[in-house]
Formats: sequence, C-alpha cells, structure tokens
Amino acid sequence: MGEIILDVRNQRTAFATARGMLNAVDGVSFTLERGKTLGVVGESGSGKSVLSRSVMRLLPGNSVVPSDSKVILNGKDLTRLSETELRRLRGPEMAIVFQDPMTSLNPVLSIGKQIMEVLMFHMGMKKGPAKEKAVELLRAVGLPQPDVRVNQYPHQLSGGMRQRVAIAIAIACEPDLLIADEPTTALDVTVQAEILDLLQRMVKERNMAMILITHDMGVVAGRCDEVAVMYAGRIVEKAPVRELFNNTRMPYTAALLSSIPKVTDPPHRKLDAIEGRPPDLINPPQGCPFAPRCKFAGPECEEQVPPLEGPGAHQYACVKPLGEEVAA
Amino acid sequence: MRYLLYRLRRLAIVLAAVTFVTFLLVNVLPGDVAYEMAGMDSSEEEVQEIREELGLDRPVVIRYFEWVGGVFVGDWGTSFISSEDVWHAVTDRFPVSFELMLLAQILALAMAIPAGMASAFRPNGRADRIIGALAFASVSMPSFMTAILLIFVFALGLGWLPATGYEPLSSGLWANLKPMILPALSLALVEWTILMRTLRVEMISVLQENYIALARAKGMSNLRILWVHALRPSSFSMITLLGLQVARLLGGTIIIEQIFGIPGVGRLLIHAVYTRDFVVIQGCVTFFALAFVTANFLVDIAYAWLDPRVRTRGSHG
Repeated sequence: MGEIILDVRNQRTAFATARGMLNAVDGVSFTLERGKTLGVVGESGSGKSVLSRSVMRLLPGNSVVPSDSKVILNGKDLTRLSETELRRLRGPEMAIVFQDPMTSLNPVLSIGKQIMEVLMFHMGMKKGPAKEKAVELLRAVGLPQPDVRVNQYPHQLSGGMRQRVAIAIAIACEPDLLIADEPTTALDVTVQAEILDLLQRMVKERNMAMILITHDMGVVAGRCDEVAVMYAGRIVEKAPVRELFNNTRMPYTAALLSSIPKVTDPPHRKLDAIEGRPPDLINPPQGCPFAPRCKFAGPECEEQVPPLEGPGAHQYACVKPLGEEVAA
Repeated sequence: MRYLLYRLRRLAIVLAAVTFVTFLLVNVLPGDVAYEMAGMDSSEEEVQEIREELGLDRPVVIRYFEWVGGVFVGDWGTSFISSEDVWHAVTDRFPVSFELMLLAQILALAMAIPAGMASAFRPNGRADRIIGALAFASVSMPSFMTAILLIFVFALGLGWLPATGYEPLSSGLWANLKPMILPALSLALVEWTILMRTLRVEMISVLQENYIALARAKGMSNLRILWVHALRPSSFSMITLLGLQVARLLGGTIIIEQIFGIPGVGRLLIHAVYTRDFVVIQGCVTFFALAFVTANFLVDIAYAWLDPRVRTRGSHG
C-alpha cells in the first residue's frame, strides 16, 4: 500500500434548482494513492465534472454538500477548511486541468504571467526567478521555443499548445493531486495522445496522484491504474483497469465498452448506442438508476438502489451482475 | 501609420461637418451680431450699415469658407463684441474646461470600477442592491441640482471646499484642485452610474468564464481575480462609453462652469450664443469637436492595451 493522498468519503453534491434539488453527485467514495491514476468514466451529466469540482471545493453558490461528506487530502479534511485555507492548497497540493484550453486561459494575460502568478503567490518567488521557472516549466511540458512563448498570449498558440500551458500551470507548484477534467476532449485527435502521454509522464516524474476524467473508455485503458464508472451521480463499478475490461460485471460498463466502434468491425455497421436517456436527477427513478435502460433488468432491480460492493478491489452496484447468471 | 492617416481623415470630416452645421444653425437663429453691436435704440438702417461693414449680408456658404480659409492660415477671427482674438480666447479657457472634464471622468471611473466589481461579484447580493439604489438616486438628479446640493453641504455647511472660483495650476496643485473638486464631482455623480452598470453587466458574464474558474483553481484571491483577471476583459463597453460621454460632458461643463464661476469655454460659449458672436461660437465648437474625436481616438488605443488580440491584428494589417 502506498501513501494515501486523497480519501473521498460519501461525497454528495446537490444543486438547488427551480424544479428542486438536483443530486449531481450522490454518495461517492474512493481513495487514491501517490503515483496512481484513477480514471473516472461516464457519459455527459453523470457527475464526473461536479465530482472534480467537489474535490477542489470549487462549487457554485447554489450547491449543497451535507456535513457527512468528507474530502481528505493529505490528512486534511477539506470540507472543514475556510476559503483562505483552501486557497493555499489550490496549486501546491491540488491542481486541475480543464477540458477546453481555448477558454481556460485568460486572453489578456501573457502565458508567462499566468504561470508566474501561481509561483509568486504560493512559493513566494520574485518576478525574475518566477519567469525563469515559467520557461523551465514550459520546456518540461514540451512547448517549443519556451523563452519566446513565455511572452506570448493564448490566442497566439494552438489548442494543443494551450493545453500544455494549462498543464504547466497545474504542475507549477508540484501538487500532490492533479485532476485532469476531460483534458483532451476539445483537442484534435492527433494531439490527444500527446497530451495524455505528457500527463502520464508528469505524474510519474513528479510522483503525483491523478484523477483522469473522461467519457472515452479508450483513454482510460492504457493510462489508469484503477477505473471508476459513474452513472447518475454514483460510482456503479470500480476495479483495477485490467480487471474491469476483462471481467466486466455491471451491464452499464459493458454497454459503454460495446459502444466503442472497433477497427475490425465491417464498414457501415450500426453503432451500439445505449438506448434511452440518463435519468432525471431531480426525480430519480426508484431502484437502480440504470434499470430503465438495462437489457438485463428485472423487477428486482427496481426495488432499491443497489450498493457498491464486491469482493476485493472489484466493486459493482448491480443486483444482477454479468457473469453470475450461469452460477446462480 | 495607415491607421493614423485614416484617423486624421475622419477627424477632418467630423470637423468640417460640425463647424458647417453650427455655422448654418447660428445663421438660422433670429437676430444677429449686428443688432447687438448697434445697441438697443438703433434704427434698422444703422443695423444694416453694420451688417454691410462686417460683410454679414453675403451668403452663408461664402462666409463659411472665408472662416475656414482664415483658420488654415491661423486666423480664427476676432470677437465682434469684445474684439478679443478668438484663438487666444479659446486656448486661454479650454484647458480649464478640459481639466474639469478630465477630473470628472477620473472621479467617475474611481467610483464606477470598485462599485461595479462589488456589484458583479455577487449579483443581487446585498452590496449589489445597495450600490444599485445609490446609483439610481445619483443618476436621477441632474448635475446642476447635484452641484447645488454639494455646494450646500460641503461649501456652506461644512466649509471644507470653496463654492466658486478658480485657481491656475501655477498657484500650486492643491490650490488648483481644491475649487475643482465640487464641480467635477457634480458631473461625475451622473456619469459614474452608467459606467458602473455597464461594467457590472460585462463583468458578471466574464466571471462565468472558464479562465476565471481556473484562476480560482490556482488559488488566487477574490480581489486578485477581480482586478487582474476580470477587470480588463470586462471593460470594453465601459471604455467605449467613456469616449462617448465626452460629448455629454461638454454640455455638462457649460452648466457647471456657470454655477461654480469657472472661467472655462462654457461661459465664453454661452455669451457668444446670446450675442450671436458667430466667430467665437465657431472657435469653441471646433475645439469641442477636436476634444471629442481625440477622446475617442484614445479609446481606440485603450482597446489595444486592454486586449492583446487587437494588438496583433493591428500589426498584421
């Protein structure tokens, strides 16, 4: 067992809306060790991004988090810290890379300034050394001509380069936890792999822990140690990556996997999309939230929400898990 | 460079249009400067005589071009009433009006920026509602009424500042500023609300941007986020308004200068309008147009400073 960096216990995040309370994250627990990467997979609206913001404590004003939810980072319970105390942790202990690098950098500040301000605020560096360090960071994330680029503005950089800058900002203060919230979704396919490789290398080199949020099962496959599949604000299956792919138990995970088109498929084959839509999170259905869309669902699935459990590291929230029909 | 030439061409067009239209308007007004010069009890013949002497009986267009020709050789004409050289009359007084306008805009910005930020930080929060109510009260009062209230409170009541008067800059910065504060404030109290509401709206949407979320995730303080990350991208509309407001301020200064007894262009212009002293009117109006165009030119430069994207576009094109 390595050192536990992050321990999330029963995280619930709800939003007060005009129609009622929307439970975006509904009782999520997991731990993350130093040097490891947790992949969080799910379709749009499954609560992945809200989960990442709940960990960073960057939630909007209409959000409600009950007091039994805990986020423990390096032994500190973030839910008990004041805004000022949290501010000191954002950067040096936890950092985030957002989805869209076209909008996540400030258009009126040079990229150098945007890196330097983190170093100056958190590390107490002076302007000169901070600039040198910024150039060094830009070099580390593989930005060509870092000493020129440092004075440029975001609009002078391509999407892939901007995401490298965003990564440089995130790793500037050597955080223990890096959250990558769909870091490649807005990028060209050709640079996606480069950015993911870069993230992976940074995690290895700097011995961080990473939460890699994505809706792409393919991204998770080669790059994570463990994978959590989210649906309707809950983790519905969690396992070491190899185990999850080889021994899928939750029908939702199986459906996600089979919806990826394969190179070996004959041309013009219909995509295996999942029928129906994700449930309404304001008035969730009784029982398993996936039951209305599940091919294997029976009446027992609608009785109550199945808990996330299972032997050892492989856990799943399903009344009728795959691979057990024969045994039963 | 090409941009500058383009600007100058526009300046020429604006000046030509403004001066010609004022020339026409003064001409359309009943009565002329000849009546004023001849005096109350003069006969129609005497007035006509003066008119012919001054060349006022000739067509408007010809007189206009005569005036334009004069300006090009540095002859702005001489006041019919006071026989003062117009160039001197205007350049003596214009800096005073200019100082008043500049102070008013600085005060307006100094109020609008912090208030707009505080409002935008929590829209519909307590600060926003208090500032909104204050702004509404302040914009509802015309500047001349605000001026009288300010005189009543700060000059007559508290005796902190003089009610009227003007001191040149040569008698010291504070001596110069002291009598200017109340007049500038009377103008600013109307202008700041418009700037503030504009900044507020734009900043509310900027604060929703991803780069603001990233600044928060970087651990930046709220103050730093507002001043460093959000202010510049939020101030485009406000800066545009700042330039356009110069036109309104020019009108405002005329009234305020009357109330506070400030020897600016305003008083010169009002007197000239009453006496139909058109060369003086022309001189003032030309300076006003110049001031307006210059202010908006500065606004364009400010865009480039505010947004690096404008800068690079300029250097390519």
